[in-house]
Amino acid sequence: MQRFFHPLLLLGLSGILPAQDAPATGDAIYAQHCASCHGDNGEGNPDECEDPLYGDRSLVSLTKYIHKRMPEDEPELVEDDDARKVAEYIYGKFYSAEARAKTMPPPEAAFARLTNRQFRESAADLLGSFGESKPPGEGRGLRAHYFDSDGMNKKARHALDREDRELSFDFGEGPPAEGMKADQFSIAWDGSLLAPATGWYEFKLTTPNGARVYLNGDRQEGDGNRRDDSSAKSQDTLIDAWVSSGAEPRESTARVFLLGGRAYPFRLDYFKYMEPRGGVKLEWKQPHGEWSVLAAPYLSPADATAVAVVETAFPADDASEGYERGTGISKEWHEATTTAAIEVANQVVSRLRRLSGVNDDAPDRIERLKGFLHTFAERAFRRPLDDAQRQLYIERHFAGGLAPEEAVKRSVILILKSPRFLYPELGAEKDDFTVATRLALGLWDSLPDQALFDAAKTGQLKTAEQVKAQAQRMAGDPRARAKLNEFFQRWLKMDVEGDLRKDPEEFPDFNAALVADLRRSLELFVERVVWSEKSDYRELIEADYLLFNERLAKFYGVPVPEGGGFQPVKFDPAQRAGVLTHPYLLARLSHPDVTSPIHRGVFITRNVLGGILKPPPEAIAFENHKFDPKMTVREKVAEMTRNANCMTCHETINPLGFSLENFDPVGRFRTTEDGKPINPVSDYLTTEGELLRLNGPRDVANHAVNSAVARQGFIRQLLQFSLKQNPAVYGPGTVRRLDDTFTASGDNVRNLLVEINALAAVHGVPGPDQASR
Amino acid sequence: MNTSSRRHFLRQLGLSAAALPFLPALPSLAQGNAGTKPQRIIFMFTPNGTIPPEFWPDQTGPDFQLKRILAPLEPFKNRLMTLKGVCNKIRGDGDGHMRGMSCLLTADELLPGNIQGGSDKPAGWASHISIDQEIKNFLQARPETATRFGSIELGVAVPNRADPWTRESYAGPNQPVTPNSDPYSLFDKLYGSMKDRENLGSVLDEVRDDLKTIAAKVDPRERELLDQHATFVRDMERDLQSPATENLIFPPPALEQGVALDNDGIPKICKMQTDLLVSAFANGMARVASLQFTRSVGQARMRWLGINDDHHHLSHEPDDNAEAQEKLVKINTWLCEQLADLARKLDAIPEPGGSGSMLDHTTIVWTNELGKGNSHTLDNIPFVLLGGGLGFKTGQAMQFDNVPHNRLWLSVAHAFGHHIPLFGKPEFCEGGALALG
Repeated sequence: MQRFFHPLLLLGLSGILPAQDAPATGDAIYAQHCASCHGDNGEGNPDECEDPLYGDRSLVSLTKYIHKRMPEDEPELVEDDDARKVAEYIYGKFYSAEARAKTMPPPEAAFARLTNRQFRESAADLLGSFGESKPPGEGRGLRAHYFDSDGMNKKARHALDREDRELSFDFGEGPPAEGMKADQFSIAWDGSLLAPATGWYEFKLTTPNGARVYLNGDRQEGDGNRRDDSSAKSQDTLIDAWVSSGAEPRESTARVFLLGGRAYPFRLDYFKYMEPRGGVKLEWKQPHGEWSVLAAPYLSPADATAVAVVETAFPADDASEGYERGTGISKEWHEATTTAAIEVANQVVSRLRRLSGVNDDAPDRIERLKGFLHTFAERAFRRPLDDAQRQLYIERHFAGGLAPEEAVKRSVILILKSPRFLYPELGAEKDDFTVATRLALGLWDSLPDQALFDAAKTGQLKTAEQVKAQAQRMAGDPRARAKLNEFFQRWLKMDVEGDLRKDPEEFPDFNAALVADLRRSLELFVERVVWSEKSDYRELIEADYLLFNERLAKFYGVPVPEGGGFQPVKFDPAQRAGVLTHPYLLARLSHPDVTSPIHRGVFITRNVLGGILKPPPEAIAFENHKFDPKMTVREKVAEMTRNANCMTCHETINPLGFSLENFDPVGRFRTTEDGKPINPVSDYLTTEGELLRLNGPRDVANHAVNSAVARQGFIRQLLQFSLKQNPAVYGPGTVRRLDDTFTASGDNVRNLLVEINALAAVHGVPGPDQASR
Repeated sequence: MNTSSRRHFLRQLGLSAAALPFLPALPSLAQGNAGTKPQRIIFMFTPNGTIPPEFWPDQTGPDFQLKRILAPLEPFKNRLMTLKGVCNKIRGDGDGHMRGMSCLLTADELLPGNIQGGSDKPAGWASHISIDQEIKNFLQARPETATRFGSIELGVAVPNRADPWTRESYAGPNQPVTPNSDPYSLFDKLYGSMKDRENLGSVLDEVRDDLKTIAAKVDPRERELLDQHATFVRDMERDLQSPATENLIFPPPALEQGVALDNDGIPKICKMQTDLLVSAFANGMARVASLQFTRSVGQARMRWLGINDDHHHLSHEPDDNAEAQEKLVKINTWLCEQLADLARKLDAIPEPGGSGSMLDHTTIVWTNELGKGNSHTLDNIPFVLLGGGLGFKTGQAMQFDNVPHNRLWLSVAHAFGHHIPLFGKPEFCEGGALALG
């Protein structure tokens, strides 16, 4: 990478510009040429330029921009040194974030309701906090129990136990295992299903024999009884295909909403009885996924407890700032929370004995149910309940002579409809429970668990060390992992709606299965890096390997890695660099037939280099066929965006995109495009004002991990996703300070999440450590 | 009395007969489709055959005496008919209980499958639509007879397990219809949003109370959002009071809460299910229903009768086991009482917009998977038809000469004006509909 300084910057710094008569100050130039449109303090003018004059350009970039473009009607009025002076003036006065932080009070934290994710996670943990809870097990398959059958008795002889990694079996006309009968046998696969993401899952069971699928049910006595005529089964099935119909395989489907990062009780009961052939296959389709056989690592032999999943559809949260937040409410949202409250209340009543631990015939049942609801309300409100609240939320419902179940139902509906549940930061007073509330939302999008609640109750959240220790403990919980995974899904465009498809004639092997593998490859890469000991951000950007399985290795023309499944495959470091050149992203950020340097450049600018781009003044679709076919994509994009209006942003976007032109629309390395040589070299003016010669992705990666703006851009994105707030809320210089700790920790991502939350949890909360707060 | 307090008033009275005299005075009771004479049908299933000597009247024709098992039907003697000599002739795969159940309303052979019974070859689902669904489809296809649900399938302690022993109703070949055995869930299906609204109505007031307490202590920025929230709560309260939710002509039953849905809950479940069935009919939600007690091979232990043995086990006992026979008579008499109770409830409600009672426009068909438990015969299924829905000549004990039950279902279909020439296995339709008029 070559570094050299921009001539304008040299001018400004060395002062070799010839002296001029009565040099005007930046202040005076601004008043003369700029203020009429931008306002005296850059606040904007509704009749001229409405947007305030705030931004994240470097001084150099700003100077250059003014020199070339401003004032809009007569750009030659302010040039060279005048441009530099006025740029310095506005930069120091109001344009830069630092300037504004000095002159304006920090914005207050947005008062927010629960986001939809927070509502669902809270409801699941609220019910899950009662009764037994088990951590998700290792995803290595299911426990399998094989039996020979004898007529109606499907479990006549226990033949063998083992673990099976995937649910696809073709027994043909033979037995399922050596030494077993071929004509009649039964198998039970037991354990849990690990849902990687939140959303709708589809299941498809195919068998010519009999099978039942159970998912997310409370285990009950007799569930495992597989006599033909047994009446003991009490759990509802997800799919019931127990009765066969002739010898033909039958296909049955089901659809279910699951929360990501949690384990769900799972069982598949199967039997063959006299049909000519035996076999069973269970496929699934994850959110954003493709149909595939249900297998490890999504199946675990460990038991799990049922999860209370709210299926009610919510209107989408506001995501205009790039992250979802609960800053507004609507009638639809109110109705959705109402429906969801009823849904949860019905679940509570139907599982009341299990959740409350109170038997239906207990002599003190009413009192104990009230006690259950008291704890329920405390957990939902994230703080202790006072007498007046107990009266309103609990006692009142039992006083009217309602049946206990009805009283419980009304109480639960009321608790979940209460602003105390829906608006977690309600009320001006901030205390230790506020700290606990924020930690739970920031790290889990959920409610405090018992340990955290107890810490708040007993004054154990007073010092910075105590808070950080809690944050550290919580960061090790699967819920933190699920939340962080969701951040990376978003960061890496893996939550984009719509299938990833390419021109089938041009890229015949780029099929659904390959796309599913690509997603998985990127997911695994992020998991491997973020959840390793070092959790090193730089590895995400700089790694010289990709995780490939056989199919990917063949498609991308590298040797099939040994060891089976996804394994690291090393590349020439000049060619590939971490997520920047992961083929999933390269393909996602391309058109079906050609690359899209613009999409790639925008992604790198915004997500990797911390830049802020305003939406284009006019949206122009790239229409490949309208260009001279002899041009390269790079030439076409340069042609399309050469207009000065476009170049405001595209001077940043294009060079970054061009640096990845060595990758075709499916992310394969190439040196030519339709016979024309690829030119990946470009000059890029950084936000800091440095002009970089980029020779390819490695140069972009080096810049990304070394640039403070880029690193702080990542910190800002993680903070916003985690806290649903803007960093400015926590005072000027917050992100810079976080960057110091981040750097000191060796760019440890998980540690960064802890630091962000420890910092935010105590913001504005009075306590003995007030000085450090 | 405004509508809300009227409903409250009726609710307090429950569905007792005491409430009924008030109902005709309510203006909203007139049903829209006056002029068409509604016909309804209920297929009530009880398992394990009967005890023939205590079931079948000794006489035939209009002069007959009800035996012990049918004694609870004495008040309805002129409005019922017994049909002896009607047999389930369907053979093929599956044991007697499976065919007795899954061929009862479908009248055709089972498909080949993997479910092994106590005898015979394994079998699968029914190969034919069942008569209740056939009639439902017929009625739903015509605007003048279409209803919200068309049919309702109710169960009493039907095990949570789908196989040819537990399913009698079929939407088509290989398409068993699951009876709903949970009165609370059935209530939700019929009246769900209403019940939720009632619960909501009571909590919204309290949400607003608490919002006021909270709003006093928050800063203006927060108050703005909370005020907006309060507006949504108020709007919802207003929606809940809108007349759209008050248009039922018959109040939903007040179900006893917290009844365990298990063996010992059967008497209460039965009461709740019949209440729900009658109210759904009265509110014009359906004209066809099935009410299934347990399943074929039903194993209810009727401890409330002092009988601790399970029903199916008892039904295998030989004729000379007097103690077992006595218990079985008691069991079947109790089941007959449930039929009488259902009939009474229908008879207590004036036909909405018509003449007579609802029972005058409803026929209940009492069925069983076997004729006799210890012989597993599918001959002489203990059929009783009760009520005036189909216009059959009631008040008689009929004797047929070993006729297939396919012909009975043809009679039923024809009584609805659905003149199909065949139902189920064609060879058993020879002779056409049975003459029941």
